[in-house]
Amino acid sequence: MSLMVLKRFKNELIILIAIIFTISAFLYKISAKNFVNNQKSEIISSITEINQVKELKKLWKSKSISKKANIFKTLVSKDKIKNFKKKSGKLIVSYQNLNIKELNKITKNIMNNPFQIEKLEIDKTAKENYSMELICKW
Amino acid sequence: MKGIKILNLMGNANKKLLVHKNMSSFDSNETIDIILTPQFYTFLREELGIKFTYQAKQIAPSIFDDYLEEEKEYQYYVYKCNKYWCFFAYNIKEIVDFLEAKGIKQHQISKIFFAQELAPYIENAISLGDNFALQAIDDISTILPKRLLENNYNYKEIDLKNITLKNGIAISSSYSSLVPLKQTISITILLSILGGIFIFEGNTIKNSIKPDIDKLELLLDKNPKLSSSRIRKSILQQYKPIDTKERKKRDIIENISKLLSANSQLKSLIVDNKKVTAIIEVSNNNIVHQIISKAHNKKLNIKKYGEKQLKVEETL
Repeated sequence: MSLMVLKRFKNELIILIAIIFTISAFLYKISAKNFVNNQKSEIISSITEINQVKELKKLWKSKSISKKANIFKTLVSKDKIKNFKKKSGKLIVSYQNLNIKELNKITKNIMNNPFQIEKLEIDKTAKENYSMELICKW
Repeated sequence: MKGIKILNLMGNANKKLLVHKNMSSFDSNETIDIILTPQFYTFLREELGIKFTYQAKQIAPSIFDDYLEEEKEYQYYVYKCNKYWCFFAYNIKEIVDFLEAKGIKQHQISKIFFAQELAPYIENAISLGDNFALQAIDDISTILPKRLLENNYNYKEIDLKNITLKNGIAISSSYSSLVPLKQTISITILLSILGGIFIFEGNTIKNSIKPDIDKLELLLDKNPKLSSSRIRKSILQQYKPIDTKERKKRDIIENISKLLSANSQLKSLIVDNKKVTAIIEVSNNNIVHQIISKAHNKKLNIKKYGEKQLKVEETL
């Protein structure tokens, strides 16, 4: 009987199969879209993360920072350097009798290099005369 | 059933039943093949200059123009018989109604054949009940009243078991489907094309992610240690707060430096991990408001701090 019914409704059955095929294809497209959306956001977030990690490590964990710290010994004359200590990723330096030009020069170097400022203290000791204490690490 | 044999063919073949108006009732639920006698169809044999069956089917209704009752709906069947085309016109409803009356349900009918195919086997007439016989005359299966034959005519017994019939039609094909074949083909083609487009689009969408995957793979090849998301997050957790805090310290210092001039000089600046504090000395009170407004523009917390002094304090 079922075979008869199938034969009787052969055309309808063909259309039904075609509809099922089309719906399946449509669902495949939708699932592909969802899959890509999920994957894409995951991939982009991974790429962003990796790039961020690379940048941050390059900036705050660079091996060249230690060398750059030596510049604080040469920016002003030795008599103005009260204290200079550099060991195991840490710099302690104190200056005295700095004029505005020297103060700006040192500050600029602190600002433009990736030192982690633990303490920076600038005090005006006299007219156009400053003292500075800097503790930073990397 | 006089003159009729219902025989099982070998294997899965169905029983064949020769159907005529005087036949007895059929009492079985088996699936059977039906052989219609000319009582149920109109037959025409034509020599036509056409090649294909579908062409013959197209002209079938016009071939029967003068032979059929106008008020009835007919179905047509055509096959090539030697140099001729054999045309059959039948009314499926009439046939099915008759078979049902004889106890044969529609679902029991596998295929319907025409007695015309028996013509080579019935040169001698076979009996169809008390009044009629079936005989091939000029190679055409014909119903004859028995009174036209001799009284002591020796009717042939036909063994349907050994006869192979080729031109059968499924009963379903006689009934027109709800959707005609042409529309079925059009709809199926359209739906298939649509489905194909969806699959193509799906594949295109899936492939669109490939450049990103390649980029990620390249990055991971260069930085194999960063392949784990947990490691990346742990590094980010370590360095992001440092980055944010240090950038903020520098921004504040830079903004404070923009408040300084010949009339406003730095008295002191203290930066640690919690806050940035600066005290600015001004030469006269007239520029205090100017500096305060400038500081507010830079979103710095500034307030007066004693005589001719301003204090900027920002927490980190």
